[in-house]
Amino acid sequence: MSRFNLYQEEFHPSPLQHTWLEFKQSHIALMGLWCLGMFVFLMIFGPLIAPFDPLEQNLNILLAPPAWSSTGTIEHVFGTDSLGRDILSRLIHGCQITFGISLLLVLVAMLLGVAIGTAAGMSYGIRSSVLNHLMDSLMAIPTLLIAIIIVAILGTGLVNSMWAISLALTPIFIHNTRDFVRKELQKDYVIAAQLDGASKIQIFFHSILPNMVELLVMRGTLALSTAVLDITALGFLNLGAQAPSPELGTMLSESIEVAYMAPWTMALPGGTIFLMIMSINLVGDGLRSALRNRLIR
Amino acid sequence: MSLLDIKNLTLEIDSASGWIKALDKASFTLADGEIRALVGESGSGKSLIVRAIVGALPDNWRITADRMTWKGQDLLSLDQQERREILRNDIAVIFQNPKQSLDPSCPLGEQLEEVIADNNVEGRFFWQKRQSRQRIAANLLHKVGIKDHRLCMQSYPHQLADDICQKFMIAMALASEPKLLIADDPTRGMEVTTKVQILKLLTRLNQIRQLSILFVSHDLLAISSMAHTMTVLYCGQTVETGPMEQLKRRPFHPYTKALMDSAPSFRKDLPPKSPLLAMDGTIPTLQHLPIGCRLGPRCPRAQRECVKMPEVRRVHSHYYSCHFPLHRSNKA
Amino acid sequence: MIPLLAVEDLSYQQGRSRRWMRGRSQFHLGPINFELRAGETLAIVGENGSGKSLLAKLLVGVETPSSGDIYLNGQRLTMHNIKQRCLNIRMIFQQSNESLNPGITIGSILDEPLRLNTQMNAYERNEKIVETLKQVGLLPDHRYFYRHMLSDGQRQRVALARALILNPQVIVADEPFAALDPSVRSQIVNLLMKLQRELGLGFIFISHNLGIVRHISDKILIMQRGMAVEAGKTDTIFNWPKNEYTQKLVNSHQALVGR
Repeated sequence: MSRFNLYQEEFHPSPLQHTWLEFKQSHIALMGLWCLGMFVFLMIFGPLIAPFDPLEQNLNILLAPPAWSSTGTIEHVFGTDSLGRDILSRLIHGCQITFGISLLLVLVAMLLGVAIGTAAGMSYGIRSSVLNHLMDSLMAIPTLLIAIIIVAILGTGLVNSMWAISLALTPIFIHNTRDFVRKELQKDYVIAAQLDGASKIQIFFHSILPNMVELLVMRGTLALSTAVLDITALGFLNLGAQAPSPELGTMLSESIEVAYMAPWTMALPGGTIFLMIMSINLVGDGLRSALRNRLIR
Repeated sequence: MSLLDIKNLTLEIDSASGWIKALDKASFTLADGEIRALVGESGSGKSLIVRAIVGALPDNWRITADRMTWKGQDLLSLDQQERREILRNDIAVIFQNPKQSLDPSCPLGEQLEEVIADNNVEGRFFWQKRQSRQRIAANLLHKVGIKDHRLCMQSYPHQLADDICQKFMIAMALASEPKLLIADDPTRGMEVTTKVQILKLLTRLNQIRQLSILFVSHDLLAISSMAHTMTVLYCGQTVETGPMEQLKRRPFHPYTKALMDSAPSFRKDLPPKSPLLAMDGTIPTLQHLPIGCRLGPRCPRAQRECVKMPEVRRVHSHYYSCHFPLHRSNKA
Repeated sequence: MIPLLAVEDLSYQQGRSRRWMRGRSQFHLGPINFELRAGETLAIVGENGSGKSLLAKLLVGVETPSSGDIYLNGQRLTMHNIKQRCLNIRMIFQQSNESLNPGITIGSILDEPLRLNTQMNAYERNEKIVETLKQVGLLPDHRYFYRHMLSDGQRQRVALARALILNPQVIVADEPFAALDPSVRSQIVNLLMKLQRELGLGFIFISHNLGIVRHISDKILIMQRGMAVEAGKTDTIFNWPKNEYTQKLVNSHQALVGR
């Protein structure tokens, strides 16, 4: 972009814009963002694009290979599975379930975590340290393990696994929020706001939250990749979404039986999960380095 | 003979908008046994000059100079090894914030004994050497005016006051018996009484040991009380150089005058609460340096010629670079 | 005449005594007495750790004094009427950089005290912000700027604007000039003196720079280890210091200026 400037005007980006400018510097992160954008698009408009019903069984064409194989048909671009269901449609719907639910879970966990974390960060004494240390001890256990334990108590099913995963993700947010709030409370501008007569809640919403948005977005992407992994893992273990559902992990576990006869039934969902997690991690990584670079400048 | 001679030192930094001259033809000389003050506000490049002298600049910065010599030896053409040799034997640096430049996890005594060079230590066996080291360390501390050397050597940096730590830094700097001491704003943030002590110590060292001092600061009060000569920097350009007394009495450059005016203590006749003479505007950032004389946009006497860099003119030992100097009617 | 601000026997004891903190020596401030009239400047001078900043914090209400009273126009200030204190006593911090929120614009920083303490509507607030920005020598456009876009001097002006925006009677400043370069420092000193003349503010500031203290202050309070060791008119203190520590301070200053 060539822009003619008569006066040497300095462009002063706001902190958010600045982060975006730094983010744009990294091509790989930008590619991840495009990829992630595609998944978001599929998540929202998936059902409109999908050529077939994901649950519709067509017993005439069982295990049809993908279109690029010599025996494949263009009708089923990614082929069909052992029950004659169109894999492309299932993948598109699977994105909606896996990715959409993960996003929802992260949002729930974030809201919960920020609320508790702020309460812990702004209060002092026993209450604060109980909240904090309880959550810290939870963080020592891998989220998947916690999720499995919760599912074992509540019983299998997609909804139960959703509860489990969002509860397992919350401690990270609590911890980060509390640390951040504690750190900011020491700074002069919070004291200044206090002297302006702001109450604690006002201080949080007007002074601290604007500075915390980026941290939350970054932590959110990291939590999102964990959530996707956990949802698919629980689906694969038959603890989460159950069989006919086109959830990606469940699809993977269904395809095990025919893995040697029809490898595409396994490779395609697996590849989708891989792509999804990679794009999320690339974006998260890009955000993290963008933030770091911004703070150095 | 001049100890350190720097002529037209230019330092360029690579940035998004091309190469920026962070230092633009800075020059000064430092004679043996002289205290030279390097004055400038933030962004004037005074710390960059210090780093250029000790060779602590990143490799991707371009550094050029017509002359940059230490006792006649060209510093820029030396390799890393030879340069460090000079630094170790002849030049010592003390920084602002003494507490941050000392190792917090190690008693001060150890840190001091570590910097004593092996060839100054007497004795053949390790216990003799250790005793000798301790003796030298105690002597050094006495020289900088720390009486209770034992307590000081056992303490950690956080246990001592700021001025003691700074004195200790000076003691460490003196361990190698340098010819030149570079003091980078050593009294910043100190209160008056401790500041005066440090300044007195530096003056005494200069008188007794013929130690040359390059005193980098923007505290004019401190500078005027001890320095012999002064170099004023603005945004990487040398604005004026000369003997302290002359600069104080008759500055030629408007910027020097503005700096002098900013310290109310210099003017005895100033009635209390009267407005100080202040220069408008702020220091430009590195990305927006004006062309020509960089003071141009802020200067009350600026005219059209000021977009060209004025040449250095001299009156006896007093150098200045300004098209329209104060106190001089003839525009020679 | 009732003084604008009067402080009587103000003292502060650091930390409640806890069992595991018994070994530590506790910091004790005060008792401190002084009076400030409208349009007067009081300078607080002392060594590091002598409790100067703590005194400033007690005055503006960040910390609660353990005993003693602060009277504003003859009326006693307590922790209950914090709103009144917010309106009338404002603080400027040492690090203007840290006292401004990095995440929001200057406009919203200045908006906050108005929104919290006055009944003005959005339009009036905006007018007031523009007016105050002009008062401290900034442009109305600076509303849309963020902290990191301003230079040190401009930040200090914004901090001053935030202090002034509620039309206070007293401004307390903790080393307002320490972080500024000389040429910019003069600008801010001039600005403060001008505003004080125009608005009749009481101004309390902490500083190490005795040159500036001598130039702009009417009274000086000298502190050492939490105690006010000497207080009086600027001229008197500089010419006839009584206390040993004060003598040392003044002599040091004279030694610097003398040559």
